[in-house]
Amino acid sequence: MEYVNPEGLRLDGRRPMEMRQIRAEIGSVAKADGSALFEMGNTKVIAAVYGPREVQNRSQQISDKALVRCEYSMANFSTGDRMRKPKGDRRSTEISLVIRQTMEACIMTHLMPRSQIDIFVQVLQADGGTRSACINAATLALADAGIPLRDLVTSCSAGYLNSTPLLDLNYVEDSAGGPDVTVGFLPKLDKVTLLQMDSKLSIDLFENVMQLAIEGCKAVANYIREILLENTKQLEYRRGL
Amino acid sequence: MVGLSLGEKNFIQGGIAQDLRSDGRKRLTYRPVSVETGVIPQANGSARVRMGATDVISSVKAELGKPSSLQPDKGKVSIYVDCSPTAAPMFEGRGGDELSTDLSVALQCCLLGGKSGAGAGIDLSSLIVVEGKMCWGLYIDCLVVSSDGNLLDALGAAIKAALSNTGIPRVLVAAGASGDEQPEVDISDEEFLQFDTSDVPVIVTLTKVGRHYIVDATSEEESQMSSAVSISVNRKGHICGLTKRGGAGLDPSIVLDMISVAKHVSEQLMNKLDSEIAAAEAVEDDS
Repeated sequence: MEYVNPEGLRLDGRRPMEMRQIRAEIGSVAKADGSALFEMGNTKVIAAVYGPREVQNRSQQISDKALVRCEYSMANFSTGDRMRKPKGDRRSTEISLVIRQTMEACIMTHLMPRSQIDIFVQVLQADGGTRSACINAATLALADAGIPLRDLVTSCSAGYLNSTPLLDLNYVEDSAGGPDVTVGFLPKLDKVTLLQMDSKLSIDLFENVMQLAIEGCKAVANYIREILLENTKQLEYRRGL
Repeated sequence: MVGLSLGEKNFIQGGIAQDLRSDGRKRLTYRPVSVETGVIPQANGSARVRMGATDVISSVKAELGKPSSLQPDKGKVSIYVDCSPTAAPMFEGRGGDELSTDLSVALQCCLLGGKSGAGAGIDLSSLIVVEGKMCWGLYIDCLVVSSDGNLLDALGAAIKAALSNTGIPRVLVAAGASGDEQPEVDISDEEFLQFDTSDVPVIVTLTKVGRHYIVDATSEEESQMSSAVSISVNRKGHICGLTKRGGAGLDPSIVLDMISVAKHVSEQLMNKLDSEIAAAEAVEDDS
């Protein structure tokens, strides 16, 4: 199948280096301590953060840092074909773990010993790149909850199809079976916190593709920063400062 | 659960007794309702309904299937509710299953009528394509995104809004199929049939706190309730379903009184919801 046509356009009309449209909204779950909605094209996720608060299960308490927990769930209507999946299947357990580890790397857990932070991500629509979208939503939600972070971790994926590196794969491109590199990146510290790839790719190409994904992360970070700044201005305005 | 001090409890109960609740509402006033339709483009119809801090999404997916042999002239509708852990940490893992099942069953009672399909708010015979062979199955999936009490009313409203947003593709049945074989069909991509939702009831939950009852309780108020009665009423004022929840018993005369109050309140809610749905549809058409 042709994923990039001779004019250099992808199936959804994007250029190889072009991201899908991103949109974010802070405070979409009124009851949570922090929450955000994040859209990448047709992928749409909601993240909610509860905490830092008392540890629910005493045996899990850590005396010198905060316990970070994460749960990923998909809505029944999120995929094209409707299906009822049991909670806690292998895929969602794996993604929960990935998100938890990525977020733990940027939360300053040593400042909140003997407490617990819960991150819940809910996929409303899945169209490829849910992992990245979840991490971006979780970052925004953590920032909204006022939890001390080392940096805003952002994530983006990149792939390699029809001998072209492609940024931000959608579902069709993702299912093509080519390599899919997901990167989690701390833009200010210039560090990679998450790196996953499936399928195979030569080393020089991998470098290119990873670099492309990192550029994507930087673009997301700029957007997230704008959204946070806008939100802070709103808060300031409401306070009448 | 909501942790409240004795003072807070007294404040809530006292306020309800004096017809002035902690958010300034009267006993029989709803919080502002906002409706957004077409939030899930992959579905045949969808809506997001917010009542205060309660936020639910409902989606309708239509799939062709075979009608059951007992009711060859009726389509199928099923309702599932899922409580997302984003709404409350206690829904994590399997924690939300009990409430999800409770809400699904209550919604099925209130909207789908009896086992025979009689008295259903959704006209099941309009879902039939070829009698006895092919029908539409509607899968209504609801997701509780944020919960601040009164989930059942919000879910009922979301389902109503999602159904009025639903377009079911027109199906052309190829002539000549006979006997037991499945008829060949051609599903149109362009022509959609709008669903008639005028008979879909709204659900009004009356929550009894102390000697009085209130509508649209927040989760703080729900924590103080002795019992709650959910009544679904359609536009004609007929009662389509009823469920009682909560521990304490109710005097039969109070139940009858509650039903008449619910009937009165449902008219306002129905009108409010209709205008919100119409406004949401207009916004969606513009964009």
